[in-house]
Amino acid sequence: MRNESPNPNMTELWQCQPVEGIKMSVEEIRKRATRFEKKIMWRNAREYVAGGIAAALLTSFFIQSHDTLFRVACGLMIAGLAYMAYQLHCRASARRMPAELGAANSLQFHRNELERQMDFLRHIWSWYLGPIIPGLVAFSVQSWVNGHTRFLVAAFVNAFFVFCLILVWRLNVYETRCLQKRIDELAKAAAE
Amino acid sequence: MPVQRCVQDRLYQEAVGTYGAALERLARAYEADPEARRDLLQEIHVELWRSFAGFDQRCTVRTWIYRVAHNVGATHMLRQRRSRSRLLIGLDELENMPATSGENEADRNRALERLLDLIQKLKPLDQQVILSYLEGLDASAIADITGLSPGNVATKIHRIKNILTRRFHAGGQDEK
Repeated sequence: MRNESPNPNMTELWQCQPVEGIKMSVEEIRKRATRFEKKIMWRNAREYVAGGIAAALLTSFFIQSHDTLFRVACGLMIAGLAYMAYQLHCRASARRMPAELGAANSLQFHRNELERQMDFLRHIWSWYLGPIIPGLVAFSVQSWVNGHTRFLVAAFVNAFFVFCLILVWRLNVYETRCLQKRIDELAKAAAE
Repeated sequence: MPVQRCVQDRLYQEAVGTYGAALERLARAYEADPEARRDLLQEIHVELWRSFAGFDQRCTVRTWIYRVAHNVGATHMLRQRRSRSRLLIGLDELENMPATSGENEADRNRALERLLDLIQKLKPLDQQVILSYLEGLDASAIADITGLSPGNVATKIHRIKNILTRRFHAGGQDEK
C-alpha cells in the first residue's frame, strides 16, 4: 500500500531539494573505518596503560615496604586494578557490532542502546568503582594506624570519600530511572 | 553469515548509487549545521559499509539502508541533544503549536527550511516516520524500519499529514 499523500508538493519539495551529491570511494570508506577502529583501540589502550603504570608503581611499593598493612593495601589495589582491566577488556569486546545498525529496527536498536547504558550504570560498582574501594580503605586504615594522619584529618578525608561515593550512587540511581522511563516509553510504542 | 569483502563493497556502491541522495536528505534532517552534517553523512556512509559485512538478507537492502541511516542519525541527534540541550517534542505538542500561516511561503527554500525545522523538533521515532513518509515509503516499509506496528504507523502518518497540511497549507494557500 502506498501512502496516499494529501500534499504532493510536500513530498516533491522534500525529494527535489538540492543535494551536494557527496560521494566517497570504497577506499576512502575503508580508510575511515580503519581510523575509527584505531581510535577505539587507542582509547582502550590508554586505560590499560594507565592501569599498568599504577599497578607497576604499587608493585614497587609492595616490594620496597616492610609494613604488612601497607603491603596488604598495595596488594588489594593491584588486584582491584587487574580485575578492572579484565572487565574492561570483556566489555570492550562485547560492544555493539556494525551489523546491529541494520539488523535491528529503530525500536529494538534504541532499546538495546538504552539497556546497554543501564547495564553499564547498574554494574559500575561491581567492576569499576567497587574493586578499588578495599585498597583505598586499607590505605586509609594503614595511614591512621601508623599515626601518619591525625584522627580528625583521617575522619574528614574518609567522610569526604564516603560523601563522593554516595553522590555517585545517587546520580546513578537517577540516571537509571531516566533510562528505565525511556525504555518503558519504547515498550509502550512497540505494543501500540 | 557475513558476506565477502567484495560483496560488501558492491552492496555499498549499489546502495550509494540508488540511495545516496536520500541519505543526504536524511542527514540534513538530523543535523542543521552544514559542517556537522557533512561529518554525520560520512559517519552514515562508513557505518553503512561496515554494516554490510553482516548483511544477512533477512530484510530488503532498502530497509537495511534506511535502518542504518536512521539509527546513526538518531544516535547522533540524541548525542547532540545532550550537549546542546535541545528539546524534542511529540506529535501531541506539535499539533498544539501555533501555525504561522500568515507568512508568505511562496519561497521553496523557506518552506523547506520550515519543514526541516519542524522535523528536527520531533522525537526520533516520529522523525523517522515523517522522513520515511516524505521519502515515499509505504506503511509496511516504515513499520519494518521503525519496529512500530503498521497500524500505529498509519495513525502517525495520518496525524503527520494533518499537521503538514495545517501548517503549510493553512487558509488554502498551497505552496508554489
